[in-house]
Amino acid sequence: MIRKELVAASAEPLVLSLLSKGESYGYAIIQEVKARSDGKLQWTDGMLYPVLHRMEHRGLIKSRWGESETGRKRKYYSLKKDGKTAMAKHHEHWMLVHSVLAGLKKEQYV
Amino acid sequence: MFDLEQAIVDWRKQMLAAGISAPAPLEELEIHLREDIAQQMQSGLSAQQTFGIAVKTIGQAPELKREFKKTGAPMEMQEIIRLAGVICVAVALFCQVFTCSPVVFAFLFAHGLKVSLMTRLLPFAAWAITVATTVLSWKYTHKLLPVIHNQLLRRAIGILCYVGCLLWIRFVLLHLPKGVAENFSLGNFLLVTFLLGSEWTVMAILGGIGHGLEKAVSKKAAAIDLLAGQS
Repeated sequence: MIRKELVAASAEPLVLSLLSKGESYGYAIIQEVKARSDGKLQWTDGMLYPVLHRMEHRGLIKSRWGESETGRKRKYYSLKKDGKTAMAKHHEHWMLVHSVLAGLKKEQYV
Repeated sequence: MFDLEQAIVDWRKQMLAAGISAPAPLEELEIHLREDIAQQMQSGLSAQQTFGIAVKTIGQAPELKREFKKTGAPMEMQEIIRLAGVICVAVALFCQVFTCSPVVFAFLFAHGLKVSLMTRLLPFAAWAITVATTVLSWKYTHKLLPVIHNQLLRRAIGILCYVGCLLWIRFVLLHLPKGVAENFSLGNFLLVTFLLGSEWTVMAILGGIGHGLEKAVSKKAAAIDLLAGQS
């Protein structure tokens, strides 16, 4: 199981990256993260919403109320311009951490 | 027999009781819960099983409340109006304690034994009434006020109340009888006590109305939410 702190830290970059593909809603975001991580990234579902609200208030994403195909009410979120910039920054930082870790791991086998 | 709708209503009540009372987050959480239940029921699980799993995965109310508190949302107009009401009543109460008491004591000191017990008690009674009115208006105004659904009208009344507070204080300060300090007649004294007392009481009542209108609506909304869930 991935540590709670890492799961929390990865929430924002993951949400931004998912929304960069198009608007989505809470339940779908969680399902997609679960599917893409083979269920290893387990969020407490409800915790996603405070994260989304926080990002919305920071102007990274915006929301609108809509309806599902079956007529069920849903709140859809989409990326704003500042969100795209924030996503690029997150990618840069996470790639940096990744490359340092990968480099160190590689050295262990030399 | 497990009643899914009743279980969701109970879950909602728990969330409300735990302090997730803002309609938007609670609605979103409920939508999520229902989506999760519907999805899991497709895999053949019973309603009771899926409800249990969905509630567990959505998380505990206190934990969620803590996270929602961190959202740092900018203050909504409703919160600003309610806060203004709180400030009005708090200032009124604070000033009542400090404005009227010295006047009362100064008067009693100046007149010493010359005044009857009843006359000495009168200012205290007036002061006690103003404090009591403030506290009561704060606690119960929202129960007496009508629920105004028109947000614009409600806010306009709220803002008018606060503007009224300022105008009233200005009016009282400008119209305080001159030379009262030199001429400590009973009539003058009662007039000053009345004006000072009413200055803050009027402020408390207007503050209570501004705040109470918003509170009345949110109380009604919470009640409707619960009833809608039960039906």
